[in-house]
Amino acid sequence: MEERQYDLIFICRPDTPEADIDKVIATLESTATEKGSKIESVAKWGRKRMAYRVQKLHEGYFVYMVIKTTHGEVVKELERRLKVADPVIKYLTVRLDEELKRQEKLKRHRERRAARRPRKVATAPAAPVAPIAPPTEQSAPTA
Amino acid sequence: MAEDNAPMQQSHGPSSGGMRSSGPGGGPGGPGGGRPGGPAKRGKRNFVRKKKVCRFCVDKADFIDYKKAEILAPFIQERGKILPRRMTGTCSRHQRWLTVAIKRAQNIALLPFAAEL
Repeated sequence: MEERQYDLIFICRPDTPEADIDKVIATLESTATEKGSKIESVAKWGRKRMAYRVQKLHEGYFVYMVIKTTHGEVVKELERRLKVADPVIKYLTVRLDEELKRQEKLKRHRERRAARRPRKVATAPAAPVAPIAPPTEQSAPTA
Repeated sequence: MAEDNAPMQQSHGPSSGGMRSSGPGGGPGGPGGGRPGGPAKRGKRNFVRKKKVCRFCVDKADFIDYKKAEILAPFIQERGKILPRRMTGTCSRHQRWLTVAIKRAQNIALLPFAAEL
Protein backbone atom coordinates (compact mmCIF):
# COMPACT_ATOMS: atom_id res chain seq x y z
CA MET A 1 0.00 0.00 0.00
CA GLU A 2 1.34 3.38 -0.76
CA GLU A 3 2.05 5.92 1.87
CA ARG A 4 -0.43 8.69 2.44
CA GLN A 5 0.41 12.08 3.76
CA TYR A 6 -1.88 14.24 5.83
CA ASP A 7 -1.70 17.78 7.09
CA LEU A 8 -3.25 18.18 10.48
CA ILE A 9 -3.88 21.58 11.99
CA PHE A 10 -5.54 22.09 15.30
CA ILE A 11 -6.23 25.16 17.37
CA CYS A 12 -6.17 25.26 21.15
CA ARG A 13 -7.53 27.88 23.44
CA PRO A 14 -5.02 30.71 23.74
CA ASP A 15 -4.83 30.47 27.50
CA THR A 16 -3.79 26.85 27.65
CA PRO A 17 -0.39 26.31 29.23
CA GLU A 18 2.42 24.92 27.10
CA ALA A 19 2.38 21.71 29.07
CA ASP A 20 -1.19 20.94 28.09
CA ILE A 21 -0.47 21.59 24.46
CA ASP A 22 2.50 19.29 24.62
CA LYS A 23 0.30 16.73 26.26
CA VAL A 24 -2.13 16.87 23.35
CA ILE A 25 0.71 16.51 20.89
CA ALA A 26 2.10 13.59 22.82
CA THR A 27 -1.29 11.89 22.84
CA LEU A 28 -1.58 12.30 19.11
CA GLU A 29 1.91 11.00 18.59
CA SER A 30 1.34 7.91 20.68
CA THR A 31 -1.97 7.21 18.95
CA ALA A 32 -0.29 7.53 15.61
CA THR A 33 2.61 5.26 16.41
CA GLU A 34 0.24 2.69 17.83
CA LYS A 35 -1.49 2.50 14.50
CA GLY A 36 1.72 2.35 12.58
CA SER A 37 1.95 5.91 11.35
CA LYS A 38 4.68 8.43 11.52
CA ILE A 39 4.49 12.00 12.64
CA GLU A 40 6.75 13.70 10.20
CA SER A 41 6.91 17.14 11.74
CA VAL A 42 5.24 19.30 14.32
CA ALA A 43 5.23 23.06 14.10
CA LYS A 44 3.69 25.28 16.68
CA TRP A 45 2.55 28.47 15.07
CA GLY A 46 1.72 29.89 18.43
CA ARG A 47 -0.94 32.39 19.17
CA LYS A 48 -2.65 33.86 16.16
CA ARG A 49 -5.69 35.92 15.61
CA MET A 50 -8.48 33.90 14.11
CA ALA A 51 -10.60 35.19 11.27
CA TYR A 52 -13.81 34.64 13.16
CA ARG A 53 -14.93 33.85 16.68
CA VAL A 54 -14.70 30.23 17.69
CA GLN A 55 -16.37 29.43 20.99
CA LYS A 56 -16.43 33.16 21.63
CA LEU A 57 -12.63 33.41 21.39
CA HIS A 58 -10.72 35.67 19.02
CA GLU A 59 -7.29 34.12 19.28
CA GLY A 60 -6.04 30.59 19.27
CA TYR A 61 -2.88 28.60 19.64
CA PHE A 62 -2.20 26.94 16.28
CA VAL A 63 -0.32 23.67 15.91
CA TYR A 64 0.53 22.13 12.57
CA MET A 65 1.59 18.53 12.00
CA VAL A 66 2.46 16.39 9.04
CA ILE A 67 1.55 12.73 9.30
CA LYS A 68 2.62 9.92 7.06
CA THR A 69 0.85 6.61 7.17
CA THR A 70 -0.21 3.62 5.18
CA HIS A 71 -3.40 3.15 7.16
CA GLY A 72 -6.02 5.77 6.57
CA GLU A 73 -8.05 4.88 9.64
CA VAL A 74 -5.56 6.49 11.94
CA VAL A 75 -6.85 9.88 10.88
CA LYS A 76 -10.30 9.07 12.15
CA GLU A 77 -8.85 8.07 15.48
CA LEU A 78 -6.77 11.22 15.75
CA GLU A 79 -9.75 13.37 14.96
CA ARG A 80 -11.74 11.57 17.60
CA ARG A 81 -9.06 12.34 20.15
CA LEU A 82 -9.01 15.95 19.11
CA LYS A 83 -12.73 16.28 19.39
CA VAL A 84 -12.60 14.95 22.92
CA ALA A 85 -9.60 16.97 24.08
CA ASP A 86 -10.63 19.96 26.12
CA PRO A 87 -8.20 22.66 25.01
CA VAL A 88 -8.73 21.92 21.30
CA ILE A 89 -11.38 24.11 19.73
CA LYS A 90 -10.90 23.42 16.02
CA TYR A 91 -9.08 20.96 13.84
CA LEU A 92 -8.67 20.20 10.16
CA THR A 93 -7.10 17.23 8.39
CA VAL A 94 -6.16 17.46 4.76
CA ARG A 95 -5.02 14.57 2.65
CA LEU A 96 -2.07 15.62 0.58
CA ASP A 97 -0.46 12.68 -1.17
CA GLU A 98 -2.47 12.93 -4.38
CA GLU A 99 -1.84 16.64 -4.40
CA LEU A 100 1.89 16.12 -4.01
CA LYS A 101 1.92 13.51 -6.75
CA ARG A 102 0.24 15.97 -9.08
CA GLN A 103 2.74 18.64 -8.14
CA GLU A 104 5.60 16.31 -8.92
CA LYS A 105 4.10 15.42 -12.26
CA LEU A 106 3.63 19.05 -13.21
CA LYS A 107 7.14 19.89 -12.17
CA ARG A 108 8.56 17.02 -14.19
CA HIS A 109 6.54 18.06 -17.24
CA ARG A 110 7.77 21.57 -16.93
CA GLU A 111 11.39 20.56 -16.51
CA ARG A 112 11.18 18.20 -19.44
CA ARG A 113 9.70 20.90 -21.62
CA ALA A 114 12.31 23.41 -20.56
CA ALA A 115 15.08 20.92 -21.26
CA ARG A 116 13.71 20.29 -24.72
CA ARG A 117 13.68 23.87 -25.87
CA PRO A 118 17.30 24.99 -25.45
CA ARG A 119 18.43 21.78 -27.11
CA LYS A 120 16.53 22.60 -30.29
CA VAL A 121 18.24 25.95 -30.46
CA ALA A 122 21.75 24.89 -29.49
CA THR A 123 22.54 21.52 -31.02
CA ALA A 124 21.35 18.80 -33.33
CA PRO A 125 18.26 16.97 -32.18
CA ALA A 126 18.88 14.87 -29.16
CA ALA A 127 16.64 12.58 -27.17
CA PRO A 128 13.68 14.58 -25.94
CA VAL A 129 13.46 12.84 -22.60
CA ALA A 130 16.71 13.45 -20.82
CA PRO A 131 17.82 15.03 -17.56
CA ILE A 132 18.65 18.70 -17.42
CA ALA A 133 22.41 18.23 -17.00
CA PRO A 134 23.23 17.48 -20.70
CA PRO A 135 22.14 20.90 -22.06
CA THR A 136 24.88 22.62 -20.14
CA GLU A 137 27.45 20.20 -21.49
CA GLN A 138 26.23 20.40 -25.06
CA SER A 139 25.86 24.13 -25.32
CA ALA A 140 29.41 24.78 -24.15
CA PRO A 141 31.18 23.28 -27.23
CA THR A 142 28.89 25.18 -29.61
CA ALA A 143 29.56 28.43 -27.79
CA MET B 1 -40.24 33.86 -11.76
CA ALA B 2 -40.37 31.96 -15.03
CA GLU B 3 -40.46 35.19 -16.99
CA ASP B 4 -37.57 36.58 -15.05
CA ASN B 5 -35.41 33.66 -15.96
CA ALA B 6 -35.62 34.20 -19.70
CA PRO B 7 -34.34 37.79 -19.89
CA MET B 8 -31.74 37.06 -17.22
CA GLN B 9 -30.33 34.22 -19.26
CA GLN B 10 -30.07 36.38 -22.30
CA SER B 11 -28.07 39.04 -20.59
CA HIS B 12 -25.81 36.76 -18.61
CA GLY B 13 -25.10 34.32 -21.43
CA PRO B 14 -23.38 36.63 -23.90
CA SER B 15 -21.78 38.73 -21.23
CA SER B 16 -19.97 35.92 -19.51
CA GLY B 17 -19.36 34.00 -22.72
CA GLY B 18 -18.32 37.15 -24.51
CA MET B 19 -15.75 38.05 -21.89
CA ARG B 20 -14.17 34.66 -22.17
CA SER B 21 -14.10 34.20 -25.91
CA SER B 22 -13.26 37.74 -26.98
CA GLY B 23 -10.44 38.27 -24.57
CA PRO B 24 -8.35 41.01 -26.15
CA GLY B 25 -11.39 42.54 -27.83
CA GLY B 26 -13.46 42.84 -24.74
CA GLY B 27 -15.80 44.91 -26.81
CA PRO B 28 -19.16 44.07 -25.37
CA GLY B 29 -17.87 44.12 -21.85
CA GLY B 30 -15.55 47.06 -22.28
CA PRO B 31 -15.82 50.69 -21.22
CA GLY B 32 -19.05 52.44 -21.90
CA GLY B 33 -20.76 49.08 -21.54
CA GLY B 34 -24.43 49.43 -20.95
CA ARG B 35 -24.34 45.89 -19.69
CA PRO B 36 -26.98 45.41 -17.05
CA GLY B 37 -24.47 43.83 -14.71
CA GLY B 38 -22.22 46.88 -14.66
CA PRO B 39 -24.05 49.91 -13.34
CA ALA B 40 -26.19 47.78 -11.08
CA LYS B 41 -23.26 46.73 -8.92
CA ARG B 42 -21.99 49.11 -6.33
CA GLY B 43 -18.63 49.72 -4.82
CA LYS B 44 -16.61 47.22 -6.84
CA ARG B 45 -14.55 47.42 -9.99
CA ASN B 46 -16.94 46.42 -12.72
CA PHE B 47 -14.72 45.44 -15.59
CA VAL B 48 -11.47 43.59 -15.48
CA ARG B 49 -8.57 45.42 -17.03
CA LYS B 50 -7.50 44.06 -20.37
CA LYS B 51 -4.71 41.54 -20.62
CA LYS B 52 -4.66 40.85 -16.91
CA VAL B 53 -2.47 37.84 -16.33
CA CYS B 54 -2.96 35.06 -13.86
CA ARG B 55 -0.70 35.70 -10.92
CA PHE B 56 -0.15 32.02 -10.35
CA CYS B 57 0.71 31.27 -13.93
CA VAL B 58 3.37 33.94 -13.80
CA ASP B 59 4.84 32.36 -10.68
CA LYS B 60 4.34 28.91 -12.20
CA ALA B 61 2.67 27.78 -9.01
CA ASP B 62 2.07 24.07 -8.75
CA PHE B 63 0.23 24.27 -5.50
CA ILE B 64 -1.77 26.96 -3.84
CA ASP B 65 -1.17 26.50 -0.14
CA TYR B 66 -4.25 26.96 2.00
CA LYS B 67 -2.01 27.72 4.97
CA LYS B 68 -0.72 30.95 3.48
CA ALA B 69 -3.51 33.39 4.15
CA GLU B 70 -1.50 36.32 2.83
CA ILE B 71 -1.50 34.82 -0.65
CA LEU B 72 -5.19 34.06 -0.53
CA ALA B 73 -6.43 37.25 1.07
CA PRO B 74 -6.39 39.41 -2.10
CA PHE B 75 -8.81 37.01 -3.72
CA ILE B 76 -11.70 37.43 -1.34
CA GLN B 77 -13.94 40.42 -0.95
CA GLU B 78 -14.26 42.36 2.25
CA ARG B 79 -17.50 40.50 2.79
CA GLY B 80 -15.62 37.22 2.65
CA LYS B 81 -16.92 36.13 -0.77
CA ILE B 82 -14.50 34.70 -3.30
CA LEU B 83 -13.78 37.05 -6.17
CA PRO B 84 -14.70 35.85 -9.65
CA ARG B 85 -12.07 35.22 -12.29
CA ARG B 86 -13.13 38.28 -14.23
CA MET B 87 -12.02 40.48 -11.39
CA THR B 88 -8.75 38.83 -10.52
CA GLY B 89 -7.63 37.66 -13.94
CA THR B 90 -6.85 34.18 -12.70
CA CYS B 91 -6.88 31.29 -15.14
CA SER B 92 -9.51 28.62 -14.73
CA ARG B 93 -7.17 25.95 -13.39
CA HIS B 94 -5.75 28.18 -10.71
CA GLN B 95 -9.14 29.54 -9.86
CA ARG B 96 -10.29 26.04 -9.06
CA TRP B 97 -7.27 25.39 -6.87
CA LEU B 98 -7.68 28.77 -5.31
CA THR B 99 -11.27 28.07 -4.37
CA VAL B 100 -10.31 24.83 -2.69
CA ALA B 101 -7.52 26.54 -0.80
CA ILE B 102 -9.72 29.44 0.28
CA LYS B 103 -12.41 27.13 1.55
CA ARG B 104 -9.89 25.14 3.53
CA ALA B 105 -8.41 28.28 5.01
CA GLN B 106 -11.86 29.48 5.94
CA ASN B 107 -12.52 26.22 7.72
CA ILE B 108 -9.43 26.55 9.86
CA ALA B 109 -10.12 30.20 10.74
CA LEU B 110 -7.27 31.61 8.68
CA LEU B 111 -9.69 33.45 6.46
CA PRO B 112 -13.13 34.74 7.33
CA PHE B 113 -16.35 33.26 6.03
CA ALA B 114 -18.16 36.55 6.27
CA ALA B 115 -16.95 39.90 7.41
CA GLU B 116 -17.78 41.15 10.83
CA LEU B 117 -19.62 44.44 11.01
